[in-house]
Formats: sequence, C-alpha cells, structure tokens
Amino acid sequence: MDVEADVTVIGSGPAGLTAALHAHESGAKNVLLLEREEELGGILKQCIHNGFGLEQFKKDYTGPEYAERLIEDLGKTNVQYFLNTMVLSLSPDKAITAVSPEKGLFHIKSRSVVLAMGCRERPRSSINIPGTRPAGVYTAGVAQRFVNIDGYLPGKQIVILGSGDIGLIMARRLTLEGAQVKGVYEIMDYPGGLKRNIVQCLNDFDIPLYLSHTVTEIQGRERVEGVVVSKVDQKMNPVGGSEQSIPCDTLLLSVGLIPENELSKEAGIELTPITKGPVTTETMETRVPGIFSCGNVSTVFDLVDYVAETGMIAARNAARFAGGDWKKGRNPVEIIPGENVRMLFPQRYSFKDDLILFVRCAKPIEKPVKIELSPVGMRLKRLYARPNEMIRFKVSRDKLKDVTGPIEVSITER
Amino acid sequence: MDIEKKHFTCIVCPIGCEIDVELQNGNVVSMEGNKCEKGKEFVLQELEEAMRILTTTVPIKGAKWAMLPVRTDKPVPKRLLSKVIEQLADVELQAPVKMYHVIVKGVAGTDASIVATRNMKKVNQRKDAKKDPISRKEG
Repeated sequence: MDVEADVTVIGSGPAGLTAALHAHESGAKNVLLLEREEELGGILKQCIHNGFGLEQFKKDYTGPEYAERLIEDLGKTNVQYFLNTMVLSLSPDKAITAVSPEKGLFHIKSRSVVLAMGCRERPRSSINIPGTRPAGVYTAGVAQRFVNIDGYLPGKQIVILGSGDIGLIMARRLTLEGAQVKGVYEIMDYPGGLKRNIVQCLNDFDIPLYLSHTVTEIQGRERVEGVVVSKVDQKMNPVGGSEQSIPCDTLLLSVGLIPENELSKEAGIELTPITKGPVTTETMETRVPGIFSCGNVSTVFDLVDYVAETGMIAARNAARFAGGDWKKGRNPVEIIPGENVRMLFPQRYSFKDDLILFVRCAKPIEKPVKIELSPVGMRLKRLYARPNEMIRFKVSRDKLKDVTGPIEVSITER
Repeated sequence: MDIEKKHFTCIVCPIGCEIDVELQNGNVVSMEGNKCEKGKEFVLQELEEAMRILTTTVPIKGAKWAMLPVRTDKPVPKRLLSKVIEQLADVELQAPVKMYHVIVKGVAGTDASIVATRNMKKVNQRKDAKKDPISRKEG
C-alpha cells in the first residue's frame, strides 16, 4: 500500500497535533499525522497536572484537557491520522516507510515532512550510578505513567535524583498517593525545575531539596533497599566523608531529556550538540530541504506553549513548501552562542521570516541582565537569567535584513 | 505588639518573586519584593488561606486505561488536599465518561467539584496491565 500526502507530521504530542492543525489552516490539502501509540496526544495524557496553555489559550489546562482541545479541533478538519503506526525510516527525499497492524508495511510519499517525535528521558546508564542492579529504579516519566494511567504505585519510600520539573511533579503526586518522598537530590547548586514547582510540589508537602548532592551508590539485590548520597564539590565530584545512607525502596531519576532523533539521523539531517536536535532556520527547516522539525525533537523546551509555537511555524512553512511557494532566497547566516549562552534555537537565519529566538544561559544571574545580538545592535533587558528558564524573544525581519555574517547572542549583567 | 516577619515565594507566574511581609496584630504593615499586583493578591490569599488546584486520578472500569485523570474545578484550601484525596478513595467509575463530567460535587465540604479532565470511551475488552507478561512475572 502506498499513501501520498502534502504534509506528513511524525508524532502527535503537543508539537505534532499543533503542526497538523496549522498545516491544514495554512492551506495544505492533504495532511497526514502519524502516531505510534494507540491514541493521539503523546506525553500530555499522563501529565495530569495543570499549568498547560497559559500563553497559547490563556487557560490553566491539565495535560489531558490541553490534548483533548487540540484533538477536538483536529476532528473538525479533514486531517487524516494513522494510529499504532511506527515510522521505520525516512529518506532525504522524504520517502517514509512505516508499519501498523492494519496496514502492514507501507510507504508514504510526502511533499514536505514535519518531525515532531519529542524526546525521551535520560536513563540510569547515562549517568553511571555505581551499585547493584535491583528493581525499583525508574525514570520520573515512567513512574508518572504507572501512577496516572495504569494505576500502580512504583514504591512506598522514594528518593528522587534530579530536580527537573517531572521529578518535582512526581514528588507531589507520589506524596498525595500515600508514598513517602524522602528527598530530592540535585547535583547542581541551583534547582533544575521552575521555582513555582519547588514551592507547590516540594515546600507545600515539606519535601526537602538538597542542592550540590548526588546519589553515589544504589543498594539492594532484588529490590532497591537504599541509596548512598554524597555532597559534591564545585567540579561536581563527590566529597569523601559526606556519604549518607538513605533506606528506600524506589529511586526516581529526573536527570534530563534527550531529543529523539534516530529518524532525523537516517534522513541525513545535520544535528547540533547545542540542542541535540536538528540544525534549523527560523522557518524550522532542517538542513534537508522540505523536512522541518519542531517541539522537543528540536530542543527540550520548558513550556508547552513554546513547543506549540514551533509547531505552528514548522507547519506554516511545510505547507508553503508543499504548495511550491518556497524560494531558495538568500544564504542563511549562523546564529552562534556568545558569552553566558549555553543553548540557542534556531541556529540559522534564512531571511524568510521574523526570528523567534530561544536561549538558555550557562550561569544564573540574579540581577538585571541584558541580552545582546551582535552585530544587529539589538539589546533586550530582563530582570534575571536562570539556566532552568528559557528566554524567548522575537526579532523582526526588518531588523535583520542588513546582516551579512554570523549573529552572536550573549547574556550578561547590566 | 511585636512585628512578625513572613516570607513567600510567589507561584502565580514563572518569575517566582521572593516576597517579605511584616505583620502587626495579623495585619500587613509592609510588603516587599513583589513585582506586580498579582503577587500582592497571592500573599494576602496565602495569609488568609492557601489555595491550590488539585489534580489526581480515579479508577475507571470498561475503559482502555485503568485510571481517569481528574481535577478540582477551582482552587481548594491547601490544608484540605489530603481530605479530598481520601474522599476519592472509594470512587470507581464506569466508562464512558465525558470531559468535565462531575464526579464529586462539593468535595471535602468546599464548593469545588471533582471533574474528569478527558473523554474516556467504553471498550469491550479492557487493556489490563496485569495481563502483560512482565507484571505477571513480578506478581
């Protein structure tokens, strides 16, 4: 069986759902959405907490409500979607091979493609915690799925390593479900998640947060029986003599997310170590013409609103590309990280659109800061800069039209 | 009477203002650190009664998944969160359920209701995690 489409979107989380909707709204006639699970919505279905869509819809939705709203809108269009459909390969000329129980192995020919595969959690093996290999070590997102969808409590006495937002949210969730969360341990000297989550997920329930601490041993044969935590020095090495044993039956890891780019690599798409996602322009086009990427497959965003926004941009341009309204135009210029910039997205500017730039600082500055774009001569002010809070801002096309070389971004004290 | 000092971190928006308050006889005599009016409202509400939205799940039968996500339709007093959870302990639903279907009205003596936060269709054969080989081995 062969399928043809104008725009094919891979993945139906917040980025993919938004992209499919907006490809349709931008005039693409034949939009196809592919999802490997049996329902649309991606990770939103297990994110039962509120705080979604504050900017996009001016509402305080939970994850499932946010997904239902997008799914409902999608139902009013002629966008076609295939569930239980796993994309096996994507070629540089946009040929997709997929498999599903209904259709078997099949091929899709698409004029343009939007990548929206999202990200996955870093597991224990990516941070190399010494010790035994017992049951009871989970990533925070897996525990979230157990509790919120399958109705299982992963353990009763829990230690959380890493203070990312999912870890903080699971600390509250597990406490409400009757487990005892003994503490959240963070290797950095500042928390990974949003401040409001520290307050409403930890402080509200008297769960302690230990900064500059990490887990240096996991104990137990069949099941986790305890962990050893240690203080770390400024180079993040454990301090000898600071070890402390904490009895527990479960260790949750909330130690970061990685964009899921196996398909992108296969399509010959250039990735960047800055985001671990594809190198893209302000149109969200990757280095392979006609293949766009958005959401957490591009870079791990803090807020769903940002994920959706990149989905809209990618979809609008993918629809233009599919419709033949796509000129090569001027050669793109690089956007490069300068002083105190750890991450920036996108990494190229192609003079087609306004630039929506996302940046993350390397070191926190709790004083008024300036964000400078050189040589554009643009200067933005913010009250502070924190590595755990992405900064988003828009630069109009008009301001960038005279740029000929690389654009450097810096975040420094005012 | 002595001045009592209190500290709050505002949770209204991602900035998270650190707000210092001085109280005399329970009345606010000074407030510092809030960058907007919402921060002030937040602190006054926290002093009177801390309020939070509660989100949780309840078991559902005849659906694809074992649990249905639910929320309070408005903030409830923080001190009652565990009471709301307790009151939901005996609730078990039957699919189908529509989003915003009211599950418990006036939960824990408040005027808030517990509502479903998604649609859940009825399916003939529930996908029961207990049938999956990994769980069977453990259980």
